Amino acid sequence: MIDSISAVLYRNFIYSDRYLLWLRGVRASLSIAFFALLLGMAIGLLIAIVRVSHDSMAKPHILLWILNRIIKLYISIIRGIPMTVQLLIWSFVILAASRNQLLIGSLAFGINSGAYVAEVFRGGIVSVDKGQAEAGRSLGLSYPKTMTKIVLPQAIKNSLPAMGNEFINLFKLTSMAGMAAITEITHVGNILRGLTFDQSPLIFVCVFYLIIVLILEFLVGRLEKHLRKSDRPVVARQKRSVWDGFSR
Amino acid sequence: MINVKGLHKNFGYVEVLRGIDEEIAQGERVVIIGPSGSGKSTFLRCLNLLEFPTGGEIWFEGEEIASHNKGKKLNEHRQKMGMVFQHFNLFPHLTVEQNITLAPVTLKKAEKEAARTAARRLLERIGLDAWAEKYPATLSGGQKQRVAIVRALAMEPQVMLFDEPTSALDPEMVGEVLELIRELAAEGMTMVMVTHEMGFAREVGNRVLFMDEGIIVEQGEPEPFFSNPQSPRLQNFLAKVL
Repeated sequence: MIDSISAVLYRNFIYSDRYLLWLRGVRASLSIAFFALLLGMAIGLLIAIVRVSHDSMAKPHILLWILNRIIKLYISIIRGIPMTVQLLIWSFVILAASRNQLLIGSLAFGINSGAYVAEVFRGGIVSVDKGQAEAGRSLGLSYPKTMTKIVLPQAIKNSLPAMGNEFINLFKLTSMAGMAAITEITHVGNILRGLTFDQSPLIFVCVFYLIIVLILEFLVGRLEKHLRKSDRPVVARQKRSVWDGFSR
Repeated sequence: MINVKGLHKNFGYVEVLRGIDEEIAQGERVVIIGPSGSGKSTFLRCLNLLEFPTGGEIWFEGEEIASHNKGKKLNEHRQKMGMVFQHFNLFPHLTVEQNITLAPVTLKKAEKEAARTAARRLLERIGLDAWAEKYPATLSGGQKQRVAIVRALAMEPQVMLFDEPTSALDPEMVGEVLELIRELAAEGMTMVMVTHEMGFAREVGNRVLFMDEGIIVEQGEPEPFFSNPQSPRLQNFLAKVL
């Protein structure tokens, strides 16, 4: 038993420096998810601003109207086509000439993510009290200035925990990137299954995902807690129970 | 200074303002009272075009403003009218000082340093200079509203609009806010205020308007207005609130 465990570990990590392959996979998965998130946030924020501005006006400017149409089309396309298919199209059609795995992965997942992140940001913007924008406008600030100086900082802050979750989702989603010959964690597992002639690499694929997701979840939780704290006055920061003030 | 002619405002099919004619002179302190839903807040918000009138004219210093519902002119007009809201609407992501300097600096009314000095002076005036670096969440309701008032003052407006400035406050904090407004009145600031504080209306206002169902039903100087109301609706209203 112990023999076989050490044999499995040896086959999966030590023999011909296979641990380097795993490292490469982890790095690829994480960095694709990271850059995809950045791209998704940029696209999502832009979309959210256009949509909120469009919806807030009785008669939107023609340019805004066209932008809004384009965005609706983009969202329909992204939501209507499975991620796997999108990935294959990016890899084998649009960027067929490129061998840059990180670029292909980040673009494919980032452009997909943008459609979803947009909704999160839109929710964030809408959730900012209307009085905030009114206060800004009443001081004489223009709509764009009110948006960038007052509404968006609060909206983005409110959306941050959701971005953490989006990162976790993206990270797990990258497990399909192997289909586009990108060397991420799952793909490394598949390569090793071919080399070791058994299924043991799958166990380590699971372990890698699980550990990393648990760490990320922990970090998102910390972030949420931190953001909640800074919203409240100093007094309320002391630990309090719902039962304070009731006699028990 | 402000001249309102035949002001109408509809929200969908609901007619909230049904023809308001009113003139407000420089240095006047006009108080608007009336039951909820009477259109008094909407009237106030029309004055700085937070609501766009559906009909009628608003003249401010010889310029018709209700027709610029867009762009630079609109923003310039709003800079001349400070507004104080029922729920303070301080910017929670900015410090108290940044709340005050944001508009003057962004609108290039003042250099950053000058704006900061001005903000400190305003905060000293309301006794909150020690709170300049704090965030609004750490202030009490009364402190928030006083900061909101000086935030509007930082733009050096010619008129101040108050939309029920004490309605969201705990009773013991109403006094400090009214005191500040009283000071502004004594300095000769032109102000229009919607309030439920009848005693204050009587003391500080030099003209009181009673609105009901979208029109000004009765108006006058505070003394005769409160002690000898003419219309039955005002008599009825005062009987309930006094």
